Amino acid sequence: MDHIRNFCIIAHIDHGKSTLADRLIQRCGAVEDREFRDQILDSMDLERERGITIKANTVTLPYTARDGRTYELNLIDTPGHVDFSHEVRRSLMSCEGALLVVDASQGVEAQTVANLYLAMEFGLTIVPVINKIDLPSADIDRVMEEIDRDLGLDPFESVQVSAKMGTGIDDLLEAIVAKLPPPKGDPQAPLRALLFDAQYDSYRGAVLLVRFFDGTLKAGTRVRLMHSDAEHKVEEVGCQRLKRVPVPELSAGEVGYVLAGMKSLAGLAIGDTLTEAERPAAEPVAGYREAKPVVFSSIYPMATDDYENLTKALEKLKLNDASLIYEKDSSAALGFGFRCGFLGLLHLDVVQERLEREYDLSLILSAPSVRYRIVRNDDSEVWIDNPSFYPDPASIKEAYEPYIKATIMTPERYLGTVMELCRERRGVETTYNYLAAGRMEVVSQLPLAEVLFDFYDRLKSITQGYGSFDYELLDYRLGDMVKVDILVNGEKVDALSQLVHREFARPRALRYCERLARKIPRQQFKIAIQGAIGGQIIARTTINPFRKDVTAKCYGGDITRKRKLLEKQKEGKKKMKMVGAVEIPQAAFVAVLRTEDEDEE
Amino acid sequence: MRDARSSAPGLYLHIPFCSAICPYCDFSVMRAASPARQRFASRLVAEVSLAASAWRDPRPFDTVYFGGGTPSQLPAEDLARVLDACRTHLPFATPAPWVFLEANPEDVTPEACAAWRGLGVRTLSLGVQSFADEALRFLGRRHTGRQARGAVETALAAGFDTVSIDLIFGLRGQAAEDWQLELATAISLEPQHLSCYQLTIHPQTRFGVQAKHGQLSELPEDDQANLFELTHRFLADAGWPAYEVSNFARGPAHQSRHNRKYWDHTPYLGLGPSAHSLAAAEASSPARRWWNERGTPRWERRLAAGERPIEAQELLGPKDLAAEALLLGLRTTAGIDLEGLRARYGVDLLAANDTLVARLVDEGRIVVRADAEGGRWLVPTLSGLAVADGLAAAFDLSLPN
Repeated sequence: MDHIRNFCIIAHIDHGKSTLADRLIQRCGAVEDREFRDQILDSMDLERERGITIKANTVTLPYTARDGRTYELNLIDTPGHVDFSHEVRRSLMSCEGALLVVDASQGVEAQTVANLYLAMEFGLTIVPVINKIDLPSADIDRVMEEIDRDLGLDPFESVQVSAKMGTGIDDLLEAIVAKLPPPKGDPQAPLRALLFDAQYDSYRGAVLLVRFFDGTLKAGTRVRLMHSDAEHKVEEVGCQRLKRVPVPELSAGEVGYVLAGMKSLAGLAIGDTLTEAERPAAEPVAGYREAKPVVFSSIYPMATDDYENLTKALEKLKLNDASLIYEKDSSAALGFGFRCGFLGLLHLDVVQERLEREYDLSLILSAPSVRYRIVRNDDSEVWIDNPSFYPDPASIKEAYEPYIKATIMTPERYLGTVMELCRERRGVETTYNYLAAGRMEVVSQLPLAEVLFDFYDRLKSITQGYGSFDYELLDYRLGDMVKVDILVNGEKVDALSQLVHREFARPRALRYCERLARKIPRQQFKIAIQGAIGGQIIARTTINPFRKDVTAKCYGGDITRKRKLLEKQKEGKKKMKMVGAVEIPQAAFVAVLRTEDEDEE
Repeated sequence: MRDARSSAPGLYLHIPFCSAICPYCDFSVMRAASPARQRFASRLVAEVSLAASAWRDPRPFDTVYFGGGTPSQLPAEDLARVLDACRTHLPFATPAPWVFLEANPEDVTPEACAAWRGLGVRTLSLGVQSFADEALRFLGRRHTGRQARGAVETALAAGFDTVSIDLIFGLRGQAAEDWQLELATAISLEPQHLSCYQLTIHPQTRFGVQAKHGQLSELPEDDQANLFELTHRFLADAGWPAYEVSNFARGPAHQSRHNRKYWDHTPYLGLGPSAHSLAAAEASSPARRWWNERGTPRWERRLAAGERPIEAQELLGPKDLAAEALLLGLRTTAGIDLEGLRARYGVDLLAANDTLVARLVDEGRIVVRADAEGGRWLVPTLSGLAVADGLAAAFDLSLPN
């Protein structure tokens, strides 16, 4: 076990985690140079493009150190976004150490701190890595100071690298071997292996990625998942190189994969513990928590005939994204669709993009909502995440909404505007700390619903990109919500209904109306667009009808051309939704429901 | 009313020559010296005989339309040669078909008018475009306002049944009063027919190129609408009701009996470069539209090789015809004959669009009107006529399969 090192890389988004992983893999010769693709661990196109890791991947690297011994380095890749903190936790639990990457010019950011705390919570040994030292704007002295002051780590323990140029990678590998502890565990004890990730393979079904704490596992053994209480027969165990390599057995301290004939990821809970069915462990690995969706939205196909395709696409997506939940939904305006739960806004974004890109679907998503707890007059309780099911206000005694603790880091000069943003978004107990010269940390308790609505974009814009943001869920608190409906020519567009704090109902409704009015093309008759709470109209705009579109001439040669044009127009109309005899193009829904604020344009 | 309409086919002859190419024109046009024009006439004669042998419709033609280009640029003897060939090879109605001729004001002399009258021309259509010199210069026309007035007077004196004036509105900087003055001038000359076209900028024209470079643009929609409504109201008040989006006549007798064929799917045979033809459906074959090579040189080469100069054709099923009937009908003040539509193409327009129709009636875009024989018509109002393109796209043409 002395030759094993289990570690992960944690970093603020964009600080170069994936590039660093690539470099380590390349240096250990796990992949031929000519096969090498940048960010090899990020296997989805989307990840490659966005430069973020969405699904964690894991790889075992053989490394011959300067002491002449060959080590087995298990690099456990962690998702780089707060939405996936659940998966991050499972990954961290599988490691003894972590490389904490700090950008040499950006320095310590909110996520860096949050990640560090998380890693420390799991007792990991931390090696700080200062990356991007090749940048002209690199300020290593300042970053070392921040590592000392903001992170409380010894800056002289840090390794300086340029993952992009390959500088310092050897030193880093030596530091991994020298500074990170080997795993502990008893190979003879009853099996305890943590399921920290699962992937879907179209040939083999579910591929379980596990960290062995105790015991030994080989093919043929019957295993039990302790939380979901399901039993399976192991078909194969092996190491996750860049390809799967079967091995005779895996035991305490090691990281590897397990194939057990499971057709899909359904029913698998990340964080579950594998044990032997014959000789079960007394206790599962601690720290299991169910991944709970916090953001909800309905997904509809733009073309109603795409519903079947959407159904299939979601089924497939679910195979390798166990945290995605969905159920059938239907809208008068948009037809059949699915109500989906996501771990956060980024997760929602990723799912939408994958559906559109990998399954070639054109989609409309309803306004994202959080889940509210409603107490009725008769003291019965109901959870509501879909505005369509919001009970009659007269029947509601109390409504509770989820709050988060937001941690924002910003240069001092934006402190005032950041505090103001928190106040605008109903933040309470907003406090701030000086971290280092010119850098502030703002902590605020905010309703999650207010964060869903363009909070992050606003933060980026008011801090000119310097602000960073991280959050964790706190609790449910009493709120004053109303359901705002949007009506087109008097007919409710149910997909646009949303639950809003009373104070924001009017401006939000007006903004929706105006955005719709800009995107719905003029039609043959006047179109009224209204925002309403119940029967009360709180916002209104109108779109005036066309006045002139007829072409002047139409003789022999023009008729065919005109008919073709008409056919094309009709084709285009099929891609529109009819509400109150008004054709609403997809762009209008997208414009209304997008979160960023472009109303100044 | 619909039964009174002639179903005899029309003949169109395209004469592409112009003395100058107007910057707004996207028709098949060219400048050429007189030998080329004579050669063209011979080719057209050749096309007549080729086309005639393939034309199956036995009904006699009751209209002949010389369009262009500028047919008045072709000497009367060449026009006569072409017309003689048509008479020889194609069935002509008795009495003789109504002949239309488009002419430029500068070509209109008492002598020319007499020659045209001798050919049987009954409608002379004058490409006046404007009576204002500045507008005429902008439009690249070679005549002056004074010449235009003179041409109209000469034509009227020559005794044509119908003298028609073409005008263009919607020029950059044109105020409502300027345009109204143009209209007033036109009707004060007492022609029998008026065509008022809104300036349309086509990409493949000099104006199109200027527009692309931001030097020129069509008027904003509201201004277009105002001028359009002004045109229709002013002329209606003066006893010049519209019968189509851009066409006005002093009484039904002066409505263009040739152009109407395009709008109600009466067959037509088009000869000359870019000309379109329509053959009616028969028991065994669907309706068919075909069109000639657009460029005159190509058209000539094909004929020189002894081929018909057809570029392409399309077959028109009931659904295509119904779509066309809708878009064309909504451009006319008579509107759409709903029973006719149902009888011909199996489309029940009202039933398939009841909500839409109710809304459009409410909005004042259309009315549903009964005729004396108990038929029903879907008729666009003035504001409906102004948005006929959008109206056509709004209707659902569900067809029984």
